Amino acid sequence: MVETTLTVNHPVGLHARPAAVFVQKAREFKSKITIQNMSREQSKEVPVSAFNLLQIGVRSGHEVRIRAEGDDADQAVAALTQLIRENFGEA
Amino acid sequence: MAKKLQGVGGAPGIAIGQVVRLLDTPNQHITDASPEDALTRFRHAQEMVVTRLQKLAEQLRDEGRADEAGILDAQSLLAEDVSLVEEVERRVRDEQESLTPAVMATIGQMRDVLAALDDPYLRERASDIDHIGQMLKAALQGTLGVQREIPANAVIVAADLTPAETAELRGGSVAGFATAVGGATGHTAILARSLGIPAIVGLGDALLDIPDTTKVILDGGTSTLIVEPDQQEIDSYQQHIADQDARKRQQQSLRDQPGQLADGHTVGLWANIGHPDDALVAHEYGAEGIGLFRTEFLFLHRNEPPTEDEQYTAYRSVLETMDGRPVVVRTLDIGGDKPLPYLDLPTEPNPFLGVRGIRLCMDRPELFTVQLRALLRAATHGDLWIMLPMIATRQDIVWAKDQIATVAKTLQSEQIAHRRDVPIGIMIETPAAAMTADILAKDVAFFSIGSNDLTQYTMAADRGLAELAKQYPHDAPAVLRLIARTIEAGKQAGIPVGVCGELASEPKAAVILAGLGVDELSMTAVAIPEVKERLLTIAQDEARGTAQRAVDGINS
Repeated sequence: MVETTLTVNHPVGLHARPAAVFVQKAREFKSKITIQNMSREQSKEVPVSAFNLLQIGVRSGHEVRIRAEGDDADQAVAALTQLIRENFGEA
Repeated sequence: MAKKLQGVGGAPGIAIGQVVRLLDTPNQHITDASPEDALTRFRHAQEMVVTRLQKLAEQLRDEGRADEAGILDAQSLLAEDVSLVEEVERRVRDEQESLTPAVMATIGQMRDVLAALDDPYLRERASDIDHIGQMLKAALQGTLGVQREIPANAVIVAADLTPAETAELRGGSVAGFATAVGGATGHTAILARSLGIPAIVGLGDALLDIPDTTKVILDGGTSTLIVEPDQQEIDSYQQHIADQDARKRQQQSLRDQPGQLADGHTVGLWANIGHPDDALVAHEYGAEGIGLFRTEFLFLHRNEPPTEDEQYTAYRSVLETMDGRPVVVRTLDIGGDKPLPYLDLPTEPNPFLGVRGIRLCMDRPELFTVQLRALLRAATHGDLWIMLPMIATRQDIVWAKDQIATVAKTLQSEQIAHRRDVPIGIMIETPAAAMTADILAKDVAFFSIGSNDLTQYTMAADRGLAELAKQYPHDAPAVLRLIARTIEAGKQAGIPVGVCGELASEPKAAVILAGLGVDELSMTAVAIPEVKERLLTIAQDEARGTAQRAVDGINS
């Protein structure tokens, strides 16, 4: 299993366009990918999906932990990390 | 015998076509042979919803609205979300539930999860789930396509249309809009006018009883809907359309001539716009300037405020389209009736009397500062004027001008190209501003009378209520006296006075306003040719007489 923890800095958080981009990216991989919002106490680890992203409510400045399990787990975590670091392709 | 329905306003133009109703989908029970059949049907419904959302998103992206498109992308992902699919499968396979109830129950569960979160922003997203539910239900009942495939010459009939729906239905085969509720200056009517689509609002509940495909004639000019017209009526309206086309061609020849009365006295004819694209239409209809550039489009339907650069680009593009002609930009005019997710505005019992317009900017100066920076920077590309909304006192103006001076100083110290000599004016839309126009005139470069809100505040009558709109019109003597007073104060101070409400777009009212001595009328661009023609038929003395009778409440 591969995992990483990082902060989401996009002003919208992980919603709307950023969420759409994130879910689409996650779908490119075969690994089972989960995400947990470390900045909300009651937030559980959930599979990456549009509804689950809504549910865990990642706002700007929140810390998330991404985990992947499968053949392409390394690539999946790397790609999703890059997406968050580069603010979902926005300058 | 043809039946006639009378509305309270709308958008001019005639549409001869058939009724297409956009009504709530009734519940109907469909039995599937097996759970697997039901789930196949569910997957098809999902595909339909996803395709529809993606198509809309694509259109928005083509129009350069990437953020709005992103919201639809997120919705389309929700429509095929695993949580949704798994729960529907469980209910249909394991619980033997029938499909539609299973889907709606799942949607209900999902929305409840969000509604229970301790974050107001997330709670609001519950409506996204409801939206998906409505679309899935329509798809399952085979009615989702109805909205997508609109037959030729469709006259869209609905209880009410939101501005978004109106915009969504623009172009293509829609010949006209008819709604049961709404007033002449409501946003649906305003939008239909700016899109150039004939429309009638406020036709009453009888409208909703007209079955689909019924033949109708929609006359937006007189707000009359003729149901099942006979051949004679159709012929006469077709003749009418032909005459109108001929007149349009004649108006076209007047296009490049400035607005004036029969004796040559000039009255500037400017356009109101709500989006940079509208500037092209304004230009096409011969607008001599932009009298009202509403900037709310930059702030609505998004999750974060627009950046300075984004605003700068929008303002600059209008200035460039208008090629040196004046462009009056109204600063953010928003209140509690249009909550913005990133502002977290408190709910007010009476948003039109609450923290809106300049008051909101005082409350959130950072929002105002970013807009002012973008405006002063864009001003280097043309003749930009800044207009402040919802002014009631001199202190409102002094505060705003202080902010503008500070922003100019900062830009100066940052060595960013900008203009500091931009004319600063105010909307006259509160009775307070109209009554004290002589005092306010000392501090500003121009007045622009917002007759819609001035009417609403003067008559204490909500402009969205059809009945009240009819009973308390915007050319009532009370409103006209405040307008006359404002124009007089402007003349004393030597500053120009314009009118940028719907009043300016009605030829009859335009004559009254010209008679009162207004310098400029700003209206939806498509109304300019007709107002121009009317003004040319009347001399200043005659217009003054008409205006005096109107102010005195004598029906002409």
